[in-house]
Amino acid sequence: MNEFVVALGWFGLYAPVALGAIGSAWGCALGGSAAIGAMLDSDGGYGRFIGVSLMPSSQVIYGIVIMFSLQQSSVDAANGAALFGIGVLSGFTMLVTGIRQGEVLASAIHASKAKPEIFGISLAPAAVLEGFSVFALVFALVLAGSIPS
Amino acid sequence: MSAPHQYIALVTSLPHLGELFTRKEVPISEFRLRQRLSMLEADHRKFLRELVEITAWAGVAKYDQDLEVVRRAKQVIDDLKEYPDLQHLVGTRMETRTLIAALRRRRDGQEAAGDIALWGYGRWCAQVKANWSDPAFGLGHFMPWIAEAHRLMQAGDHIAMERLTLTQVFRQLDHYGALHEFDFEAVAIYVLRWVIVERWSRYDETDARNRLEALVAAALEGSNATEAQVQTDFLSTTSPPLEGASS
Repeated sequence: MNEFVVALGWFGLYAPVALGAIGSAWGCALGGSAAIGAMLDSDGGYGRFIGVSLMPSSQVIYGIVIMFSLQQSSVDAANGAALFGIGVLSGFTMLVTGIRQGEVLASAIHASKAKPEIFGISLAPAAVLEGFSVFALVFALVLAGSIPS
Repeated sequence: MSAPHQYIALVTSLPHLGELFTRKEVPISEFRLRQRLSMLEADHRKFLRELVEITAWAGVAKYDQDLEVVRRAKQVIDDLKEYPDLQHLVGTRMETRTLIAALRRRRDGQEAAGDIALWGYGRWCAQVKANWSDPAFGLGHFMPWIAEAHRLMQAGDHIAMERLTLTQVFRQLDHYGALHEFDFEAVAIYVLRWVIVERWSRYDETDARNRLEALVAAALEGSNATEAQVQTDFLSTTSPPLEGASS
């Protein structure tokens, strides 16, 4: 049983990075595809399209920060379950927010082609999703401080 | 092409078409559009060709009989079984065509609907047949545009009639377009919109040329034709309609 909990602990330790990286990759692919399409139809402003399409890359950075905060001198039965719970759930949050951020960025890029003046405001939903990722990061850091070492 | 991000790239590479009747020219040429659509898989290109063929006037004009158009529409709807919204779109478009064909037949003096199965399609055939003498075929309470189309057709105002019809078709496309953003349906609906905008831009240009030629001819002949007369002639030109069955 102890070995199983230890395995879960290691799983939870790396989950924020792995799931965050998947979310970032997926989100950047969606946003990047929209940026590439928009560049085909635009005579300028390429930089801003590419710039916003990279927004979901923050999720993997948050995942790395969470992983370091969860890192313990040893993973054992006492802390394995805590590492698993915090790591997997925060990683899952990064995964979903990364993908969804990519989707709303694609919509924002598409909409702002038709109406360039809404470019700034159309990024608001993506910023809100970024905020949810930050919530998950901050409270993972808070809880990481109370894990028994 | 099936991955979502590929559809995202394709859809965002297509320029915004804007509102109907607001543009004098299409924002993307046919050549460029075909070039962009080459990103689609062969199956999807085939579906798109069928869809355009059955919904655009130029596509159905080659059929001699309305029944052939109806049969072809049913075939296209069967082929689009993986895309229910496009099936509904074709069905709704054929129903609109049936209503316009009925208005045209009535204007031409047809006393009754006759065997409507030979030239009609869809849900409203029975109502059209039962309410042949009603201006809106008994459907005016939820499709008020039919009565307006009847009035315009009786008045011979072809341009206003076509504006009204295209507005209805554009509304249908807007309805289904709101359900799809980055998928095959979104691309198909964009192309159907483009066909209408492109056709209207050419149609407008032709009319402008006709009007100019009529004015020049009137001036050269030194006739007393007033501009109002020229305008009346212009409005009664018998150019092929953009919509409607080939009845």
